[in-house]
Amino acid sequence: MSTATSPARPASTAKAKAPAAGSAATGPAARPAADAAPADMPPAPTAGAGPLRALWARPAARKLLVLAAAAAVLVPLAATAWGSGTWPHALTVDLTGPLGRANDWIIDNRDHHWIFLYFFGHISGAIIGAVHAVYTVLLALGWAGVTVGAGLLAWRVAGVRVAVTTLASFAVCGLLGMWVPTMRTLALMIVAVAASVVVGALLGLAAGLSERTFRALRPVLDTMQALPAFAYLMPVVLVFGIGVAPAVLATVVYAAPPMARLTALGLRATDKGVLEAVESLGATPRQRLLTVRLPLARRELLLGVNQAIMMALSMAVIASVIGADGLGDRVYQALSTVDVGSALAAGIPIVLLAIVLDRTTAAAGDGRASHGPSGRLVWPLVAAATAAAAVAARLLDARNWPGDWTLSIAAPVNDAKDWMVDHLYSGVPGVGGTAEWAAHYTGWILDPLRDGLQGLPWWGALLLVAALAWLIGTWRTALTAVLALAAIGVLGRWEVSMDTLSQVIAAVAVTLVLGFAIAVPAARSPRVDRLLRPVLDVFQTMPQFVYLIPVVALFGIGRAPAAAAAVVYALPAVVRITSQGLRQVNPGAMESARSLGATSGQQLRHVQFPLARPELLLAVNQAVVLVLSVVIIGGLVGGGALGYEVVFGLAQGDLATGLVAGAAIVCLGLTLDRVTQPTKAEKKGAGA
Amino acid sequence: MSAAAASAAGAAPVFSVRNLWKVFGPHAERVPGGELAELGPEALREEAGCTVAVRDVSFDVRQGEVFVVMGLSGSGKSTLVRCLTRLIEPTSGTIAIDGEDVCGMDKGALRELRRHRAAMVFQHFGLLPHRTVLDNVAYGLEIQGVGKAERREKAREMVEKVGLAGLEDRRPGQLSGGQQQRVGLARALAADPEVLLFDEPFSALDPLIRRDMQEEVDRLHREEGRTMVFITHDLSEALRIGDRIALMRDGRVVQCGTPEEIVGSPADDYVRDFVRDVPREQVLTVRRAMRPAAAGEADTGEALPPTTTVADAIGTVVRTGTPARVVDGGRCIGVVDHRGLLGVVAGLDGDGKAAA
Repeated sequence: MSTATSPARPASTAKAKAPAAGSAATGPAARPAADAAPADMPPAPTAGAGPLRALWARPAARKLLVLAAAAAVLVPLAATAWGSGTWPHALTVDLTGPLGRANDWIIDNRDHHWIFLYFFGHISGAIIGAVHAVYTVLLALGWAGVTVGAGLLAWRVAGVRVAVTTLASFAVCGLLGMWVPTMRTLALMIVAVAASVVVGALLGLAAGLSERTFRALRPVLDTMQALPAFAYLMPVVLVFGIGVAPAVLATVVYAAPPMARLTALGLRATDKGVLEAVESLGATPRQRLLTVRLPLARRELLLGVNQAIMMALSMAVIASVIGADGLGDRVYQALSTVDVGSALAAGIPIVLLAIVLDRTTAAAGDGRASHGPSGRLVWPLVAAATAAAAVAARLLDARNWPGDWTLSIAAPVNDAKDWMVDHLYSGVPGVGGTAEWAAHYTGWILDPLRDGLQGLPWWGALLLVAALAWLIGTWRTALTAVLALAAIGVLGRWEVSMDTLSQVIAAVAVTLVLGFAIAVPAARSPRVDRLLRPVLDVFQTMPQFVYLIPVVALFGIGRAPAAAAAVVYALPAVVRITSQGLRQVNPGAMESARSLGATSGQQLRHVQFPLARPELLLAVNQAVVLVLSVVIIGGLVGGGALGYEVVFGLAQGDLATGLVAGAAIVCLGLTLDRVTQPTKAEKKGAGA
Repeated sequence: MSAAAASAAGAAPVFSVRNLWKVFGPHAERVPGGELAELGPEALREEAGCTVAVRDVSFDVRQGEVFVVMGLSGSGKSTLVRCLTRLIEPTSGTIAIDGEDVCGMDKGALRELRRHRAAMVFQHFGLLPHRTVLDNVAYGLEIQGVGKAERREKAREMVEKVGLAGLEDRRPGQLSGGQQQRVGLARALAADPEVLLFDEPFSALDPLIRRDMQEEVDRLHREEGRTMVFITHDLSEALRIGDRIALMRDGRVVQCGTPEEIVGSPADDYVRDFVRDVPREQVLTVRRAMRPAAAGEADTGEALPPTTTVADAIGTVVRTGTPARVVDGGRCIGVVDHRGLLGVVAGLDGDGKAAA
């Protein structure tokens, strides 16, 4: 059905309808649109055809006309067949039955079917073994060994400043009494990152060396990066149940795509001249790869590792919902009882871990080798010093972080939070209170938007998505978007998804308004940019999960805190992309505008915004993708809708519900990404 | 350099190219020799979606000569030189190096050819940015499997030869364009190849540095007598270093000959137009300016070898005030005077008639 409303209509329909619609609007000619204008009639040479032709000359208007023509035919048909309003029941397929049976079958057979015994069982066993081994090593090193080792490693790779940050961060983890959970998260991370990097690098290698693999893989990787983390949880739980193994697997699936993507891009970006020169010297393909392509892709490879680590941390924390223990689990447990103090105590180590890991790996990718000490003996020295610290701590019988060195912040934080509840939630003179804001946001924005979306006839929503996606992108992206949206309806998750969608749209709107408001000054004034940069750096490295902690403290539980977390999470990326786009505008164009006497507002409107259009669209796309991922996680703090169904499915062991919701999340993610995906200029490879 | 070429003129050709075609596009192989070959470039692109880069080209490169392929951008000269070692696979035709069929070589033999017999220098250098100058120069030997000490020693020698001593540990990014191209040259020389192939090596350089590099190549050629195939779009460069020049247009060789033949006897209007602004007196020799000796003239006046340029002969004639004799092997073959020399400068010598 959904294909029928797609913009990929045969051209004859478009040609037949467009002149008819035009004449009806402009002239007294042929009234009845249905029998007007034979298929291939050229634009009529009458006076009335002038504006139409002008309209037809604009690509955007042409697309809309074609779409309107298609809609004029199909909508009445669809509406009479299935009615308007919400997604028609006749077009849904109930998957809960089959999925439930599949789940039951898996549970029944997990212990004796060969596929579990000899395939999934081995995978799961290997993962659990690896995580356990790493954890044992970390424990054996003790807090002293780990801290010293990490510090020296950071020193070698990234220089003194990062080393000091690392030492301080690990010390704080210990001080907060979170040493053991931190090590558990770290062990899980190490295994997941290693696997992601290996898998990603292999995929990237294949895609980097073979054009066909690249073409097949790229859309998959692009799509995977646009999907919310929550969507990856359900399938692994279906097969592996709850535990460490599925958590690691979900993390790998989430973290490997950026590595694969950057590896492929790095390998493909090798300077053609260098490759040719090397070939002219008689290098074998293997020599070309090892001595030229890989070394020249070093930057991208290390950036890939950096991205994989950050994604893995983000996911390792979220995976606490499917049985990953460690810091994420502590946050999850604390949030479920609205114990902000304990959540913060576990959240701070997550943030510190993120900062340390990001700074260290980013410095490695910088390419400047002059950060830390160098020389042949450095690595053995690092290892020796680590071992010495570990042995020393063991001799002093202090392998675990000493109990009396910890500082419990849960109680004072909770006191502070209670004070906030008493004083900031409501009745602050003049501005109201956070709870009132939340109520207003929910009541005045979210509810009407949700009701509007749910009240929208289903074909109207499809049409809207098609129009938007086609205007911004190509007919391909529009087709995917429409199909994905229709799939949500078919899955029977229309209403719930519209609820999620309303939250996303509202939060994206807020993000964009705030983001542009911050980005424009940042692009114009180097000082604002300098002030903003470190803040953005820190915010961009934090895993999405930790944003839930402060918003729960401020706004309580509900859809508003989820939206607030989403806005805060998406804002840094939007600000960064927008301000960079505005700043990179061709200085020649800016100079000529200034020389013509344009005011700064005119420069912004006429030069910077139009020239930075690709970046602005990218910012919108990123805002949508990032907001969606947090809105879904918002299911954990009362955001409801699709995210809640996944959480509910996990909590109740009702995997069928969770899986269908997960599939709907994938579809929604796909729709939103494609609707906002600007046309990418395809770069054609130069032949000779 | 003409002397070097002359001495080797009789030897077997290093490269022998016959009826070479390179067509880009779908079903390229049906173009050479078929009806499509008769079409012009635009018609062919519309008809078959193909572009002919090299069109039925034949030539020989002789032992020890500098063979220049010259043409404007898009004339197919860079494609042609890449076909010689099959960096670009030719569509049809034959290429032989020392009588050995290049087109029939398997991958291993082709690699051996590239490693030991023909090395190339590129317009944009093609250096490895992550390696030092020394390791770049040694790279060719490294992939041949030469041991570290040996290849470094050899590389050091080459670096010195091209005048980069002291810069061994720099990276290409820290060098100027001219220095980078010296590294490219050293890298090509390191494998001690039989032929050096240059693909517009100096086009990306500043004029003064370009001149330096041309002299460098000239020196190398004089000292080592290495055979060179040199691609350029710069006519003065071609005339300066070429023993013979093949002039290309739209994939075809329109004329192939010595600089004097190209300038003195252009094959068609295109070539004539091309060489119009060349200072003729610096390219053409007294052979073109001389007339048969009149009675008594065969024994008097300054003696000049027949390879003397007209410009030099003018100097002699003006200094002595009398006509000069052109002497080849002790025998007077003619006489040049004001009239004859000025006739060449003014272009009144006529095409190929004066060279009696």
